[in-house]
Amino acid sequence: MIGLRQAAGFALAACLLTLSGCVTRGPLIPASPKTVELADTPFFPQREHQCGPAALASVLGASGVGITPDALEPRVYLPGKHGSLQVEMQAAPRRYARLTYSLDPDLKPILDELDAGRPVLVLHNYGVPFFPRWHYAVVVGYDAATDRVILRSGVTRRQILSTRNFMRAWDNGGRWALIVLRPGELPVSPDKARYLEAAAAFERVASPRDSQLAFDVAVKQWPDEPVGWIGRGTAHYRGGDLNAAADDYTSALHLDASQTGARNNLAMTLLDLGCVGQARAQLDKIDSAQLKEPLRAAVRDTHAQIEARSAELSGQSCRRRPAP
Amino acid sequence: MIHSSAWRAASVAVLSMALINVGFVRSAQAAIVDTGALIATDRNADLASIRTQLDRADVRAQLEKMGVSATNVEQRVAALSDSELHTLAQDMQHAPAGGDGVLAVLGVVFLVLLVLQLVGVIDVFKRAPHR
Repeated sequence: MIGLRQAAGFALAACLLTLSGCVTRGPLIPASPKTVELADTPFFPQREHQCGPAALASVLGASGVGITPDALEPRVYLPGKHGSLQVEMQAAPRRYARLTYSLDPDLKPILDELDAGRPVLVLHNYGVPFFPRWHYAVVVGYDAATDRVILRSGVTRRQILSTRNFMRAWDNGGRWALIVLRPGELPVSPDKARYLEAAAAFERVASPRDSQLAFDVAVKQWPDEPVGWIGRGTAHYRGGDLNAAADDYTSALHLDASQTGARNNLAMTLLDLGCVGQARAQLDKIDSAQLKEPLRAAVRDTHAQIEARSAELSGQSCRRRPAP
Repeated sequence: MIHSSAWRAASVAVLSMALINVGFVRSAQAAIVDTGALIATDRNADLASIRTQLDRADVRAQLEKMGVSATNVEQRVAALSDSELHTLAQDMQHAPAGGDGVLAVLGVVFLVLLVLQLVGVIDVFKRAPHR
């Protein structure tokens, strides 16, 4: 019996050694005398199972949104799971006029964002494969000389972890890292598709002004990308600046004439400007047979509105001013 | 009674105004296509649109089942993009839910120590040596 027990012990010890031994040695943060600590990042000691709302309140606070974990709880906490889901952590900040952007799964983007003054929300897994323990924490700094990272985590205001331990828990958590952006801010190394997706998701709940700021930077960063122009056009439309909206939709169509969504939106904008003829001309360029939902419904609706309003608008003049 | 019927009339009036306003806003903007819908240019866009409806209903039901109140469910679902809705509808049961604090982590450490103690790798309680 003792032989068996010892054998099991050796096996377990060997397992643990291999687990720690499979990671390469040497510092993970590139050698430099650099130390960054975003000491102003607010800290909210978590209550039981409430690390999601606490961590979210921390990154939102750093981004200028003063909110408590208690106020966030109804937005992100799932009583049935005793925790918060990543998707909802990602969606909730939009309600507070902030975009969310998930970082590439590497240490460097985290350090870059810290350099730029933004704390990073991460998901850790401190458990073992058959017993995962998920935990949200906020990275607020790093020390390259000692190869350590600093976090706001759980009930610890200033948790210091060796980068190796941090990486192990982050690896086991799927390397998920999220930042919160003010409308008009871009991540340090923005990925075009991911940023536009973030901005489009933001548009659903954002004010026209905030939405415009979010797409403004997209247009500046990627002037050849029609989606950025369309997004800004829609923000202008919702904000009531119809001529600016028409300009942006037109820019998108110059880049890509096959953007049916931009053409439909342009037609609708022209109609609102009282330019029935121009609106109809744009819509006539769309091949309705090729359309899919929800574009098909939108084009049908635009058609209907042109027909319904053309009589009433016939006496009015077109208020479209020529594009600059 | 007079008091309460006055209240009723007032709230009916307010609600009807609100509904009329909602109606106006919707009809004015229904023809403008959301940017999100333009990004998700799927070849099966027709199917995707139906899928989003199903996903939304599914996520609503699951959130309620997991203890979120009806009013909060609406607000939470409204903040989700179509692809986020789909992710949630697919795998809400098994998706990681971060919530454990330091105590739970300590619990894991305790379990590991307990196992090590039981299999004899460590000896916290200094048991008498086996004969």
